[in-house]
Amino acid sequence: MLVGFCARVREGDLVTLESTPLAAPILRELYRKVLEAGGQPLPRVSLEGLSENLLKHGNDEQLAWVNPARSDDIETVDVRIALEAPGNTRRLSNVDPARHARHERSSEELRNRYLERAAAGELRWVLSAYPTEAAAQDASMSLVEYEDFVYGAGFLDDPDPVARWQQFGERVDRLAAFLSTKRELRVVAEGTDLRFVTEGRTWIPSKGQENFPDGEVFTGPVETSVEGEIRFTYPGVFHAREVDDVRLRFEAGEVVEATASRGQEFLREMIAMDEGARRVGEFAFGLNEGVAIFTRNTLFDEKIGGTMHLALGTAYPETGGLNRSALHWDLICDLRSGSEVLADGELIYSDGQFLNGVG
Amino acid sequence: MSDPRYDRLAELVLDHSLRLQPGEVLRIEADAVAEPLVVPLHREAIKRGAHAYAALDLSGLTELLVAHGAEEQIGFVSPIALREMDAIDASITIWSETNTRSFSRADTDRRQRQLAAQRQLALRRRDRIARGEHRWCGTLCPTEAHAQDAEMSLEDYEAFVFGACHVLDDDPVAHWTGVGEQMQARADELAAVRELRIVGEDTDLTVVVRGRTWRPAYGRKNVPDGEVYTSPVESGINGTIRFGFPAVFGGREVDDARLRLEEGRVVAAEAAGGEDYLRSLLELDDGASGVGEIAFGLNYEIDRFTRNILFDEKIGGTMHLALGMGFEDLGGLNRSALHLDLICDLRREGEVYADGELVWRNGHFLQDPQPARPAERV
Repeated sequence: MLVGFCARVREGDLVTLESTPLAAPILRELYRKVLEAGGQPLPRVSLEGLSENLLKHGNDEQLAWVNPARSDDIETVDVRIALEAPGNTRRLSNVDPARHARHERSSEELRNRYLERAAAGELRWVLSAYPTEAAAQDASMSLVEYEDFVYGAGFLDDPDPVARWQQFGERVDRLAAFLSTKRELRVVAEGTDLRFVTEGRTWIPSKGQENFPDGEVFTGPVETSVEGEIRFTYPGVFHAREVDDVRLRFEAGEVVEATASRGQEFLREMIAMDEGARRVGEFAFGLNEGVAIFTRNTLFDEKIGGTMHLALGTAYPETGGLNRSALHWDLICDLRSGSEVLADGELIYSDGQFLNGVG
Repeated sequence: MSDPRYDRLAELVLDHSLRLQPGEVLRIEADAVAEPLVVPLHREAIKRGAHAYAALDLSGLTELLVAHGAEEQIGFVSPIALREMDAIDASITIWSETNTRSFSRADTDRRQRQLAAQRQLALRRRDRIARGEHRWCGTLCPTEAHAQDAEMSLEDYEAFVFGACHVLDDDPVAHWTGVGEQMQARADELAAVRELRIVGEDTDLTVVVRGRTWRPAYGRKNVPDGEVYTSPVESGINGTIRFGFPAVFGGREVDDARLRLEEGRVVAAEAAGGEDYLRSLLELDDGASGVGEIAFGLNYEIDRFTRNILFDEKIGGTMHLALGMGFEDLGGLNRSALHLDLICDLRREGEVYADGELVWRNGHFLQDPQPARPAERV
């Protein structure tokens, strides 16, 4: 699925395969599949201990350093296949948030360049996950249960996953087309009454090419138009830290108030990272019914069918979003009970479902 | 809790071998199995203000390439990797493996072509080193695979490795600096020698070394280290030599090799095991039947054969000859894609004469103090 359907590796493609040694079984499979497709696989194996070293012991210069070899990767490769395969999702929990922020800023230019090349179609990328004990633990599951969850979310139990994803993709396309006709959205739920303008911006259907599993439709709202308050039902998970019961208030597109019942300092540090971190870069509807529960992993959580998410920070250029930041942090709201979404004053979505006739 | 001996090995490599400076870019190359050494090396490098990163391999991938890759894929050299070679100030290669025999059944031609492609990266680095633009060191992180080859438990093998590196000394850097001084004295003496004669079991070989530079190896490029070596005069090697230790090259073994050389070229080669393989290596190219190196092994902490050349060639009391590539900077003229070290055990039996005078017996230079040492193992 990853090499064929998602990344569509072609002869001569330079393909980086990025993960930790825990994903060795799938990395070998990916390597072989890339060879079969005629591509050149370039393994990029990382060790969590190295990030820990840098964040604990690096001085400002070291935190800011960009490895020219990694810039070269971003400039040169045709495909990136990255797999999350953590050994300890909380390894970096005790790092000073300011140091996280400093390091994050160093990779901003790199990330912008990679988003640019991706938006221009020069670079194809897929982010997926290989089930590990650490991720299963975060999901409060056994490894076997978690594997079922991961593969189920990717429709891999289906006799024809490709066909299933294509079908799913058609639905997402219809939703994107529908939403493109709207000017302004308003989300109403407990603790939430948020408005923003999407006119002139592009809704992108996410149907299994860039994330796997996938299942969202997203855009970059007009930056200055975001108004109101929002209460996120799920904890925010970022940089190995968890932030509970996040509530944000926006005025003229900027966060003017940010609170959390746990992790408030971290939340505020992240929002203060740079100018763009206090603005919204993305708004999206999660559409994958195969992901039903929160597992503390944004890759899956943001796709949960019946949710919405907001990202503080950088926008994806292909949406027309202008916000740029070293931050891109997705915060997720479960809309499956007691919620409404109105488009230009008209109800289009209720309790986690688009209304009949829509999409 | 991490093992402090790995931390000390990391410090030795960074402080003695590389003398790493703040702001320098350091690349650590290893298989992911070497994590116990990669992480401390990286940490200590960061603490010393360097920009350190790791380029990690995963076992099984290259095997897939050799087994299933098309010609262009096997011959591919990543342009990113080539450019990367130019951007780093220092590098460390950790030679650890998870399986030292995983290429034993691979198609030899395909494997050789894959190695030849990757050699381009090594050559790029070698040129930068020669110009003084880059510093490099090679070492090993103990793994079960290497312990198995050494016929030891991992715990015992770690003790062997750390002992050979002297990381438990009060001051490992001082130890290796001292070793360097001692070996430099031997190298200076050897510089005046015209011809060496090695006599041992089925061995009577004369080697002309006149005019060649001898170099002491005391931990700058290899950790552990401990040898004094040169490239002999290419046409000046005559006689027979028997190598008591197996040679392990490219994951395959050559056992009990015996060579006859005339005017510096191998004219007859036999081996109790791997004879065909040995002969195929001799035919790799023109320089492969010539001699590129002669050396004395002087690390007496390495007291047994463990099937790993990093250690085996340094076994105190041995000598080794390398077929193939010589050292340009020592006056060596032989060129080859091969550099095969063959080790001769001179610890119990065997003598070396320099211009007719006995200089080595019982596994020691006569000038070196002869420390009491534990009974030799195999």
